[in-house]
Amino acid sequence: MIRLDIQILYIEDDVEIGKWVQLDLTERGYKVIWLKSGEQAVEHAAESRLVILDVMLPGLDGFTVGQRLKKAYPDIPILMLSARTSIDDKLEGLQFADDYVTKPFHPDELAARIEVLLRRSGSYTAEPLELKHLSVYEQEKRIMNRDTGEEIVLTGKQFQIFTYLLRHLGQILTKEQIYEGVWGEPYLDGDKTLMVHIRYLREKLERDPSAPEVIETIRGVGYRVRA
Amino acid sequence: MKNKGRIARFRSSLLYRYLFIILIALLFVPIVFPVTLIAYGLFQGTVINPSSSTSVENPYVSKGNLEKTWHEEALKLAYASDIQIEAKIRELKKKYSKANLFWVDQQGKTRIQLPVQPSLPEIWSASYSIDYMKTRSASSVYAVVAFIGDKPSVGRGFMVFEIPYSVTEVRQQSNNSLNGIMIYILLFLLFFIGFIVVSWLFFVRIRKRLLRLEAAMTLSRGEGLPQPIKVKRLDEIGQLENAFNGMVLQLSSSLQREREEEGLRKRLIANLSHDLRTPLTVIRSHMYSMQKEPLSDQGRELLQLTESKISDLSGLIDNLLSYNLLTSGKYKLTPERMDVLRLVRESAAAWYPLWEKEQFEVDIQVQDEPLYWWIDAQWFRRILDNLFQNILRHAHDGKYIGVYTESLPNGSLAVVIIDHGAGMDASIAREKPELGEGSTTAHGAGIGLAIVEFLTREMEIALDIRSSAEGTRVYLYPAVY
Repeated sequence: MIRLDIQILYIEDDVEIGKWVQLDLTERGYKVIWLKSGEQAVEHAAESRLVILDVMLPGLDGFTVGQRLKKAYPDIPILMLSARTSIDDKLEGLQFADDYVTKPFHPDELAARIEVLLRRSGSYTAEPLELKHLSVYEQEKRIMNRDTGEEIVLTGKQFQIFTYLLRHLGQILTKEQIYEGVWGEPYLDGDKTLMVHIRYLREKLERDPSAPEVIETIRGVGYRVRA
Repeated sequence: MKNKGRIARFRSSLLYRYLFIILIALLFVPIVFPVTLIAYGLFQGTVINPSSSTSVENPYVSKGNLEKTWHEEALKLAYASDIQIEAKIRELKKKYSKANLFWVDQQGKTRIQLPVQPSLPEIWSASYSIDYMKTRSASSVYAVVAFIGDKPSVGRGFMVFEIPYSVTEVRQQSNNSLNGIMIYILLFLLFFIGFIVVSWLFFVRIRKRLLRLEAAMTLSRGEGLPQPIKVKRLDEIGQLENAFNGMVLQLSSSLQREREEEGLRKRLIANLSHDLRTPLTVIRSHMYSMQKEPLSDQGRELLQLTESKISDLSGLIDNLLSYNLLTSGKYKLTPERMDVLRLVRESAAAWYPLWEKEQFEVDIQVQDEPLYWWIDAQWFRRILDNLFQNILRHAHDGKYIGVYTESLPNGSLAVVIIDHGAGMDASIAREKPELGEGSTTAHGAGIGLAIVEFLTREMEIALDIRSSAEGTRVYLYPAVY
């Protein structure tokens, strides 16, 4: 996938890690601007679709830089990439950041998380998401069945549930997480609303609703849409 | 100077005031009774029966006065003519309008009577005079008889003043006795109530101040510290308030010091974590790059093994630092009533991809209904993470993970985590350093489990591990059911 139009601002003071991440992300098709401190971050963030930010930086620390960036560009997702793993640090970071990845990390995991964040922020506007026999145009709120060439029409709530799962692509979500993410209110014990919606959703999306391929059930845990 | 200060301190003390009240209590009978009586006497003298004013308003009140006055008037008439005597008696009648007045001259003739009394004879005989004296002394009429010139030798007869007792004594006595008893009781009650009020106020004020102190101790400023209190008096409670304020100050500075130490410790650990993880990241980056190079099968296998050790080492650093912070009390657990099964599902969801990657058979059968325990969600997740991590590291061979809810004989519901590995004890024992086959993973399992034990104990969750060669079952259930 060519993503040269997507610029990522990467702030990391460690030269070896910086070089490696820049190289890996460039190989994955992103344009990477690498800064060794956070002083010029706000200036470079304007053209970027995502910011990867280390915490321990010379001068301004990552938390301060992140807060400034979020204030200046609230729509740009920030991914904290830090060797600081304490709960306090994570909680502080997640007050403004959209994700927090700890070192040592696997580059595939970093790439997957970047993709999720970019998708969530709507950076992949033109590209449809290919899932089994489906092409999903999230921005246009359109889903095409490539087998039949027909558009699949979902109700508002069905589309919200499906896009919520897509924004957490590959991630297993419990029924409580999905309900609270879509309805925006606490899940009530024993509420079957979500299960009913998912059943109707499968009837529209799946080739064979009795053997779902798109929305996978993880027994005893929840649901997942695999990339 | 020193003594003066001591006396001033004593006078402002509660002890002084208490002793004062006790003294009043002790002197109540010997002081209050006489004081009441004196007060009563004064009251009676000035309010009830002030002689001057009363005699003007009521000339019959004092019989002594009447008698004295009558005799004085009689004396003044020693050389008066008959007309003058009559005029005087008429004048006196005006003053004593309720009295009967008459004059009997030397010949025993009734000269003037005001008003006219039919019972009086015109001429007084000696026997009538004696009878008059006898009957008057025994009757209800008070009579004063005075010779003109106040001596029989003047030879001008006598003049008589008669007034019924009902006008003088009876009325006066009844009014005086009633008022006197009432006033005496009132005065006594006044003193008694006054004493009670003073004692009551004394204790109410002490109570109020103690309650204020208690409230200040209970209320916190939001950082777990009590409020300092405004010291208004320097008595014993005031000194206690001063000592309390000093304690608050000490606590505050101690808390501040503790925070600074905690901050330093956290920074140190964060820096340590950073310093350890950064080279690990670099190692991983080099290994990732090496994977892209042509390698033999053995080389590729070694790379994978090293990579898994990097993950283990990273987890170990995490556990070590967490254990250090937890056991030193730097993290506070804040238990809340929460659905543990929701946390179990969320945690399993996060681990699921890894189990899939490792080709584990995953069997999760937890009930749909919520299971509420008092837990700290963040640390309960940590317990689950450590248990799941241990299965991946030490029960990998079993390729199985099961999470169930199971009813216990005591009626409580347990969360059970099952693996089919070689058994926890055997796994750890085999890798124990003292047995000569030590490795980092052995310590990792130990610390991971130590964190689990610590957190379960803190959250009052029973941790029951049943391990055999067929696998391990970890039971988690409320310790207090």
